[in-house]
Amino acid sequence: MPVVKAVSCPVCGSLCDDIELTIENGEVVKVKNGCAMCEAKFLSHRSEHRIRKPLIRKDGEFVETTLEEAIRRTAEILAEANYPVLYGWSNTSCEAISVGIELAEEVGGVIDNTAVVCHGPSLLSVQDMGIPSCTLGQIRHRADLIIYWGCDPWSAHPRHIERYTAFAEGRFEKSAWRGYMAKIRSLIGLKKIRSAAKRLVLKEPSEIEARLKPTFVPSIAREGRKLIVVDVRRTKTAEMADFFIQVEPGKDYELLQALRALVRDQELEVDHVAGVPVEYLEEVVDAMVSCDFGALFFGLGLTMGGAKLRNIDAALSLIRDLNMRTKFVIMPMRGHFNVTGANMVFTWQTGYPYAVDFSLGYPRYNPGETSVVDVLLRGESDAALVVASDPVSSFPRKAAEHLARNPLIYVGPHMDVTAQVADVVIPSAFVGIEAPGTAYRMDHVPIPLKKVVDPPEGVLPDEEILRRILSEVRKIKREKTKAEAA
Amino acid sequence: MIVNLYPLKEFKLPVIAECINPEVFKGKSIEEIGRLEVWEGNKQRRLNELFKLEAEEAESSPEAPVITIHGDVSRVRRIGAGMKNGEIVVKGDAGMHLGEEMRDGKITVYGNVLGWAGSMMRGGTIEVHGNAGDYLGAPYRGSTEGMKGGKIIVHGNVGREAGAHMKKGIIKIYGCAGQFVGFRMKGGTIYVQKDCEARVGACMVDGTIIVGGCVESVLPSFTIEGLRKRVKIEEGEVVEAPFYLFTGDLTENGRGRLFVAKGPNPHLSHYEKFL
Repeated sequence: MPVVKAVSCPVCGSLCDDIELTIENGEVVKVKNGCAMCEAKFLSHRSEHRIRKPLIRKDGEFVETTLEEAIRRTAEILAEANYPVLYGWSNTSCEAISVGIELAEEVGGVIDNTAVVCHGPSLLSVQDMGIPSCTLGQIRHRADLIIYWGCDPWSAHPRHIERYTAFAEGRFEKSAWRGYMAKIRSLIGLKKIRSAAKRLVLKEPSEIEARLKPTFVPSIAREGRKLIVVDVRRTKTAEMADFFIQVEPGKDYELLQALRALVRDQELEVDHVAGVPVEYLEEVVDAMVSCDFGALFFGLGLTMGGAKLRNIDAALSLIRDLNMRTKFVIMPMRGHFNVTGANMVFTWQTGYPYAVDFSLGYPRYNPGETSVVDVLLRGESDAALVVASDPVSSFPRKAAEHLARNPLIYVGPHMDVTAQVADVVIPSAFVGIEAPGTAYRMDHVPIPLKKVVDPPEGVLPDEEILRRILSEVRKIKREKTKAEAA
Repeated sequence: MIVNLYPLKEFKLPVIAECINPEVFKGKSIEEIGRLEVWEGNKQRRLNELFKLEAEEAESSPEAPVITIHGDVSRVRRIGAGMKNGEIVVKGDAGMHLGEEMRDGKITVYGNVLGWAGSMMRGGTIEVHGNAGDYLGAPYRGSTEGMKGGKIIVHGNVGREAGAHMKKGIIKIYGCAGQFVGFRMKGGTIYVQKDCEARVGACMVDGTIIVGGCVESVLPSFTIEGLRKRVKIEEGEVVEAPFYLFTGDLTENGRGRLFVAKGPNPHLSHYEKFL
């Protein structure tokens, strides 16, 4: 059976590029090196829930149709619309996104990617403050302090810690894996001692706790690579951290500002900030300032909690302050595999990373005004094209209702919730499995995606489908101009 | 001249109508005004396709016309943007970017306004008798050029980040305010008569914020300076009540002044030990 090596995984923003796939009869049958999500995605291309034929809704029911008719109907809807929205883009290739933006300009619509519901606030703050960052390779080899804030890579980016940060074997920094294993063993030992002590009832449980506790206080001052996790709950990632800060929900901004004040050697007039004693924070700040190369990764816990974009403003300011004392970088933990690519392509072609409004004929950008979620919540759009995304299951209910109420076109491989309420459904090939392309990793490194198997018969890649829609829209417009002139 | 505008329909699509501006209407006949271009969604329209226009002569003829809009124009954006004189009265709700970059004149809204009202304002007055949305007087995304003059009065509540990046001028809010009032402000005065959500004055460098109601919390990067018996908001308007005076934001080496009424904020009494 042929084995394809060095395949990039089209799941999360880590874009692991060491996947090995075994192909049999034109299907992926075995996935090596990948996480559970990676395996599920590579095996899903032969799923029974796959859409194989274009569908058009007639009298409330889906009817199979030809690709030409589906594309013609899509082009008619978009060309007639007064304020269409074009949404998705983060699960497809940069090449398809590029055509999508051209289409948005042609139909005078609002084009937006999934950053609007994840790291949109980060992008706004990065525009205000700038971002000191680097590639993940630099972090892997050099970072001796890793901070994960408001994210749980163990669950959401399963190989991030192992490939790029604390557990990666760097050229100048050793993996903290052995230390973690020792810690796990000691915790198991502790559990056994507790259990034995309870059964024997030799002493009061509180007395036993008091005897055991000091031995297991995590020390931030130890040598080697260190991991700090800040989150509202003790996640799986937090369990492996050298130091865990449990912040009160929605109070990250206060905590960040307090850390900034401490980094600047200022005294605080409070004992606790966001539920954390100031002495703890002083210890964390000592670790931050004394490291040689620190890296802060942040997730949606920071972008979507409490102060939203201003959390990122404070985090970027903290990194700016830390860079006066040592070397520190910051990076958002991007979710979809090509959401960074979507931001990049949007920026090349329009000047803005997301939420771009072409209704006046030129790109305008003001998230809150031109972002798709807000446009839908205000009920302003009159048609929608969704590419490689499932907004009906992830948007606020009112926004999803408005999306479903107006003509909706879905381009994607799965019969998901958005496809089920759509008026036109066009099946597409999986980018990175059945179609090649380019995607950007979370550190802005472009990674090529491979085609390893053929798509089902008659199913085209997103890029080709969008090119055909664009060409049809232009044809309809030309016909309209001719008719008006006549 | 008084120009009355009546919306011909309930707007569904966003309308961009920066031509609704006394400066633009000045010297034009009602037919010429009707031919002014506006955008409805991605289509260009004439003003008279969306509004019924009526002109009447004012008893005292002011230099610039007075524009009165009767009805809901909450989907109409950029009304009075860049206006330099004259007056606009909106008898209904108004849309985003009302009076953006206005330099003089007056806008009165007898209803609510949406986000970015008075954005990057340089002078003049905006009075809102209802509620205002987010980013009152604040610049649009990516800009740090906040309000540089003029006065905004809101009789209802306001959303997030009122007066962000403000340099000069005054904002008076007689209702409650959302979080981040006066974010990164560099000057000017903001008065909130009632309650205020957290993070007041975050990253402020200079200027004054006065909160007469309850503040959820004061940022840890502010330091208490003392107690004041009264606070002056502007010439002729003084609040007689004990106020805590905080200065900050320390993280930006700021010397902004944050007055918080003592009465409604017993949870801040622990700061008194530092006085």
